[in-house]
Amino acid sequence: MFRSTDDFFATGIGRFATVLGVLLVTVLLWYVATTVTGFIDANRLPRPVEVWQSLQAIATDGYGNGRLHQHVLHSLKLVAMGFAAAVSVGVPLGLAMGHSKRIEALINPAFLLLRPIPPLAWIPLAIVWLGLEDASKILVIFVAAFVPSVINSYTGVRNIDKPVLEAAQMLGIRGFSLVREVLVPGALPMIFTGLRLSLQASWTTLVAAELIGALYGLGSILNQAAQDIYPAMIMVAMIFVGICGAATTWLLGQFERRAMPWQQKSVLQ
Amino acid sequence: MSAIEFKNVSRSFGRDGKDVLVLDNVSLTVASNEFVAIVGPSGCGKTTCMRMAAGLEFPSQGTVSVAGKPVIEPGPDRAVVFQQFALFPWKSVYENIDFGLRAKGLDEAERKRLIAHYIGLMNLSGFESAFPHQLSGGMQQRVAIARAYALDPQALLMDEPFGALDAQTRVVMQEELVKLARKNPRTVLFITHAVEEAVYLADRVVIMTSRPGRVKEILDIKSIREQEQWDQHARVEDVMDLASFVHLRTRIWKSLREEHAGDPEH
Repeated sequence: MFRSTDDFFATGIGRFATVLGVLLVTVLLWYVATTVTGFIDANRLPRPVEVWQSLQAIATDGYGNGRLHQHVLHSLKLVAMGFAAAVSVGVPLGLAMGHSKRIEALINPAFLLLRPIPPLAWIPLAIVWLGLEDASKILVIFVAAFVPSVINSYTGVRNIDKPVLEAAQMLGIRGFSLVREVLVPGALPMIFTGLRLSLQASWTTLVAAELIGALYGLGSILNQAAQDIYPAMIMVAMIFVGICGAATTWLLGQFERRAMPWQQKSVLQ
Repeated sequence: MSAIEFKNVSRSFGRDGKDVLVLDNVSLTVASNEFVAIVGPSGCGKTTCMRMAAGLEFPSQGTVSVAGKPVIEPGPDRAVVFQQFALFPWKSVYENIDFGLRAKGLDEAERKRLIAHYIGLMNLSGFESAFPHQLSGGMQQRVAIARAYALDPQALLMDEPFGALDAQTRVVMQEELVKLARKNPRTVLFITHAVEEAVYLADRVVIMTSRPGRVKEILDIKSIREQEQWDQHARVEDVMDLASFVHLRTRIWKSLREEHAGDPEH
């Protein structure tokens, strides 16, 4: 059926089976190391069954001001808002900087200065401005997600083949049509790279921001569980940060595939 | 009336703080519906000539005008066929041809008619919805030629359009372009370094000197072609076998070799 193992891994089922297999082996190793042999002390790394019990506890009875789905939804909401705001400002700005030397000259100095500041360094200012509520976290996510969106959209426009841009000029394409039908599709692969990096930055920053002070959210579970010295619950929160990050990245990938039908590798005979 | 006119055109580029003269006082006119090919050693500025007619570059001195108007910017009245095709990868064959027609403001029925006409003429039927990367290089360049012709420009500017194609495809494309050009005569400025291609396609061939490029000589091919009835032969190789063709080709070769002799790189 498959000519080589590579062919097998290239199929959807093959990839799913691989992920499942790796997960099973990991859990098995974890189980053996903590439960069967006691090679790792359960006080350092909780046993699988403890994590499972903690998961059940937070899912049904709740932990740290809410049940699991409330925490997850709250984190998702903040990421979605910060990410959406960053992307809807960052992508157009990057496109404009890529297309117009004047806009680039105007904005680049400020950008170069702001870029090296770690997003987390904005947390104190965000708290002073907006308090400990959601707004300050959204602001910090915005700052983190903004930079990759701008840089990659900018690079995307800059990387469009010069003859393609000249062809557009020659055909008399300008204004909105140039942006919508030439610059955006031409930069789209890089725009999506930017979106992926922005999304990653959003999750990283969210968890850090929630660690500092939050009533809900995956970061707040981490914070609470650390104070309670409750490693199994820490692991539950970490696992769910991973799941949420992977799921949103997967979703973005689905958008990406649909947004660029011309990139599919079908060849006409 | 001359469709394309270069009048005392010079062009220099700043390089390492020095001005390098690329084109030196070039004067050249292309008549309406005339097919003129420029040949010359690499770096002689022939592509710069084409780009100045397109409005993608500008002379340092002198003027370039098309249909009596000085060229100040690129526009659909001067359609360019680029060496690297320069199609929009995210648009289908149909949309690539349609894009410029929409920008010109033609109504949909007219656009449909034009696109169907040129898709048929360039043997692209059945590939309307294909994306460029799904096509061979030869087919991509046919789309680019269809896109240029459909604009119904004052001048067609072709910059080594077959340079990126393999030898067999190039020959087929040359035959097709000859058919197209004789059937729908247009003003064409054709840049190439392939001597045979120039002789086969053009009404006149302009030979340029090596840098700084000047017009060295201009040969009238059309009168010989008509006298010797080249167009009765459907195939390139038969035309290229004719004594009159060989004679012209050799003459241009010799002229170009003189240029290479003065070039330390060769």
